Amino acid sequence: MSTYLRQLAAIVRKDLVLEFRSKDRLVAMGAFAVLAAVLFNFSLDNASVRPRDVLAGLVWMTLVFGGLLGVGRTFHLEAEDDAFRGLMTSPAPKDAVYLAKVVVNFVLVYGLSVLALGVFSLFLAVDVGANLPGTLLVLALGALGFVALSTLFAAVSTGTTMGETLLPVLVFPLLLPMVVFGAGATGRLIAGRPFAEVAGNVRVLGAFAVAAVAAGAVLFRFVVEE
Amino acid sequence: MSTAGVRRGGTALTLIGLAGLIGLFWLSFFWVSTEVNQGVAQRIFYVHVPAAWTSFMAIGISALCSGVYLWLRDERLDRAALAAAEGGFVFATIVLVTGPLWGKIAWGTYWTWEPRLTLTLLLWFIFLGYFMVRGSTEDPEKGKRFAAVVALVGAIDIPFIHVSVLWFRSLHPQPVVAKAEGPTLPQDMLTTLLVGVLVFTVLFFGLFLMRYALEGLRAELQLRERRTSS
Amino acid sequence: MRSFQLRALGPARALGAAVFAAVLTPSVLVAQASGLGQQSLRPYWHVFAAYTLVILLVAAWAFSIGRRLKDVENRLSD
Repeated sequence: MSTYLRQLAAIVRKDLVLEFRSKDRLVAMGAFAVLAAVLFNFSLDNASVRPRDVLAGLVWMTLVFGGLLGVGRTFHLEAEDDAFRGLMTSPAPKDAVYLAKVVVNFVLVYGLSVLALGVFSLFLAVDVGANLPGTLLVLALGALGFVALSTLFAAVSTGTTMGETLLPVLVFPLLLPMVVFGAGATGRLIAGRPFAEVAGNVRVLGAFAVAAVAAGAVLFRFVVEE
Repeated sequence: MSTAGVRRGGTALTLIGLAGLIGLFWLSFFWVSTEVNQGVAQRIFYVHVPAAWTSFMAIGISALCSGVYLWLRDERLDRAALAAAEGGFVFATIVLVTGPLWGKIAWGTYWTWEPRLTLTLLLWFIFLGYFMVRGSTEDPEKGKRFAAVVALVGAIDIPFIHVSVLWFRSLHPQPVVAKAEGPTLPQDMLTTLLVGVLVFTVLFFGLFLMRYALEGLRAELQLRERRTSS
Repeated sequence: MRSFQLRALGPARALGAAVFAAVLTPSVLVAQASGLGQQSLRPYWHVFAAYTLVILLVAAWAFSIGRRLKDVENRLSD
């Protein structure tokens, strides 16, 4: 088991180093969050829509769209450099490769969603201070479920001739539970409702994330086999 | 069973199913009594609900065959998964076109986020993804594996989607919707509905077997072409 | 070769007859309902459309399978 964790940590470290060196996805996703906030601001009529009511939905949509933008490129480096074979013939089990990718993507997508929360709160002048730890927990569970599904399907779409164009068709229908429970809980927490009111949502989000990670870890080997 | 046998069985079942479909139409037009609150439009129920039942059965079969295919790698399982997915796609389309036609009369709008209708819409997109993945790989074996993963994850996700659309619905109170189903369904309506479920199931399996036989013949053709080219 | 073609045509013809009969049935219903006045006719049209679409979609799938089967069989018998 400790060997497994060490292998996992090694791949995570390698990918994080690559990520922070090239900064491709970091910059693209960060810019996406800020620019989405700018465009959303101008797409809303402040006279008829109260930003407070739509903030949670906008943050979650930014998580989904911006997240997909980044996660879709998870396996590009491997596919371009033909490094995939190297990764697959390495002694690390395939689920460790998948879990490592999930960890790295989680760092990126969770960062994106927290950034989105901050930027939207700043631009739309909404105070999200009430229940901030709860909000951050909900975003974390949502980001984990999202990353687990989209990483698996990023591996699928990278192997097709359509590439990332295919990703939304595959992932969006499956994300509905996450958006419903996540945005619902975030909206209530921002409105200052007690955390106990969204405890049920958090449980479903947790179950969704666990199921998605487990399904991904089991099925990933069938996607990448030679 | 041989491919030709499967095909004959499929044709026979399909013809029985089509005859049953005419019987179902007769029952729901001339025999069953008209529902008091909703009137004539409620008769759409007798094709809408069986089609929904069939499409969800189809994703179940497809996911089951896909899972065992990934494990055993028997080509026949992949063919069955593909045939079931195609049937599920057709029947989900039926649900999606008949639902709004009923909804316009019953609720006054073509589309409402009725939980089961929403679920069927997402199921339709899961099937769409299944075919898009299958069709966009250069290596057919890869496409089979990818599609199997899509069907499996879709089937695992469906209970979650179901819970979430029900929960979302409870958040947004809707005008009282006259519910056609329920334990209080009169006997003749229940009989018609059960006939509908039976007819759609038979029809599904008839066409499923024909589609399965088609895929078997295609594999045979491919094998022959590979043999002649080598 | 010839007997094969006859066999392939059998189910197709039966399907066609079934489609014809089933499309005819709702139209009889609508004809019966036409005496009921303009307002109450709308539900009948929706039922008619729904049942017709059921028939059309099932028939489209059946015909598409039949066409593909014939195509593959032709190529196999070459």
